[in-house]
Amino acid sequence: MTTTDTSTTGATAPYLKPLPDVSEANRPFWEGLTRHEFLVPKCDRCGHYNWVPYPACRSCLSEAQTWTRVSGDAHVYSFTVVHRGHGQFGQEAPYAIVMAKLVEEPRPCIVLGNTRGIPHEDLHIGMPIKVVYEDIPGEDITMWRFGPR
Amino acid sequence: MFPKRQVAIAGVYLTKQGKLPDRTSFSLQLEAIQGALADAGMTVQDIDGLLPMSGSNHLAGFDGPTAAHQFWAEQLGGRPLRLMEVGGASGQLAKATAAIAAGMCDVAVLFYGKAGQPVGPRGTAMPNRAPRVAEWSFGIHGAYMIPFYAMWTQRYMHEFKVTPEELAQIPVVDRYHATLNPDSVMGHKGEITVDDVLSSRWIAEPLHLLDCSLDNDGGYAVVLTTAERARDCPKKPVYVLGGAEAVYTDFYVSFTDPWFSDEGKSIRKAADTAFSLAGVSRDDVDVLGSYDCFSVTGLRNLEEMGFCGVGEGAAYVAEGNIRLGGKMPTNTDGGLLSGSHCGDPSGLMVVEVVKQLRGECGARQVKDAKIGVAQQQGFAVHGIGSTLVMGVD
Repeated sequence: MTTTDTSTTGATAPYLKPLPDVSEANRPFWEGLTRHEFLVPKCDRCGHYNWVPYPACRSCLSEAQTWTRVSGDAHVYSFTVVHRGHGQFGQEAPYAIVMAKLVEEPRPCIVLGNTRGIPHEDLHIGMPIKVVYEDIPGEDITMWRFGPR
Repeated sequence: MFPKRQVAIAGVYLTKQGKLPDRTSFSLQLEAIQGALADAGMTVQDIDGLLPMSGSNHLAGFDGPTAAHQFWAEQLGGRPLRLMEVGGASGQLAKATAAIAAGMCDVAVLFYGKAGQPVGPRGTAMPNRAPRVAEWSFGIHGAYMIPFYAMWTQRYMHEFKVTPEELAQIPVVDRYHATLNPDSVMGHKGEITVDDVLSSRWIAEPLHLLDCSLDNDGGYAVVLTTAERARDCPKKPVYVLGGAEAVYTDFYVSFTDPWFSDEGKSIRKAADTAFSLAGVSRDDVDVLGSYDCFSVTGLRNLEEMGFCGVGEGAAYVAEGNIRLGGKMPTNTDGGLLSGSHCGDPSGLMVVEVVKQLRGECGARQVKDAKIGVAQQQGFAVHGIGSTLVMGVD
């Protein structure tokens, strides 16, 4: 399920796009990505998943949440093909951004991300997609992307 | 017990809008404050409350919530000035109205000014290593405001079968109004057609260049005081009849599904409260200032404010309602697409509606305009919503 896409940046070119400044509270999520696992806080009380992670469950306000591996399966909720971007993104334009709605329910988890291996012209609302992983060369970060399912 | 006083806008001022390479944000703010006071027949000594908008702190070293206020209190002479600000322009003015009505303040000035610091990708430098940003920042995915509104547009078109041609009505109407407004940034370029919008280059699909707001410099200010005092000022008082603000989500990080619902979100809540406090119905509105930062926002604002049903914005606009001469001319200054978008333009709608209600708008004047509404949105699509209902005798 790993797709490391080096076609646009070149195998040895430095990665110059913004990367996350990882907080202690969310370190388990980013560590999960390095193992190619997508973890979402799941409420211990009501069982709802919450994205993005918040200090308490949005549904029942419990602070007891557990980082839980999700399937990674999702559908395109919306998307755009961007023709003008900041910094390195501008060099790579056009690039796609999707709002991916995870299949986990009931509280909707809509996750933002770039695509890998999906032709821009194929993108459509409702399209089945899945989380894929990209280890960032020279950095301690693995990023998530969305690929075809 | 708090007294309950009627409140009015006594002064407004617009600096030049556009590319202003020789100006600073500070100098635009100072000009706006002094200009609005002069419009009200007042001096800086008359102020006793401040509503600084974002980007108003010019003293490094302290960036707490009162920093901008403290800077300006010192800058304006070191007199004790009441801290009034919270939120978007109409929301700030609504809450300041309540404070003035209650006797907590007598004369408050809302002000904003921005020079340089483009909002969009223009002028961003290429880093030599990956910059680190907040972990849920949309910048990690190459998103910024325009891609966000593009995804909102995409979903809106999908759910309500809205076409690109229908969306393009908003920039076309804005440009027409701008041609009648000598202070607009784009009016001198002449009218545009739906085809012009659709053939302009992609910024983020489905948004074309002409679907997107401008990114220019400029400033503005508004003087708010008691109706009693405003009646002694040189200009016709514009009474604040009602206003409110609501916020429903964080800054472009969390998203809810459904994105469009019949019960509405921040804008609906703010509008319902503002109209209710004012005792004014939607049908009574003669002129609207609407925060139309993209084509889709122009349509969605009309729906969310209750001027038409959800998904019916395009049909409402197609009937000619928002064009000058229609039922409720909207963004007669050219809006954010052709009038001005000076960083945080949320007070521009107030300034234009006040000018309309005073009858100062020349070729773009709405005949016999008595009731006007200024509405803002932002900080995530429709994340924060504010509405101010104004009227004249």
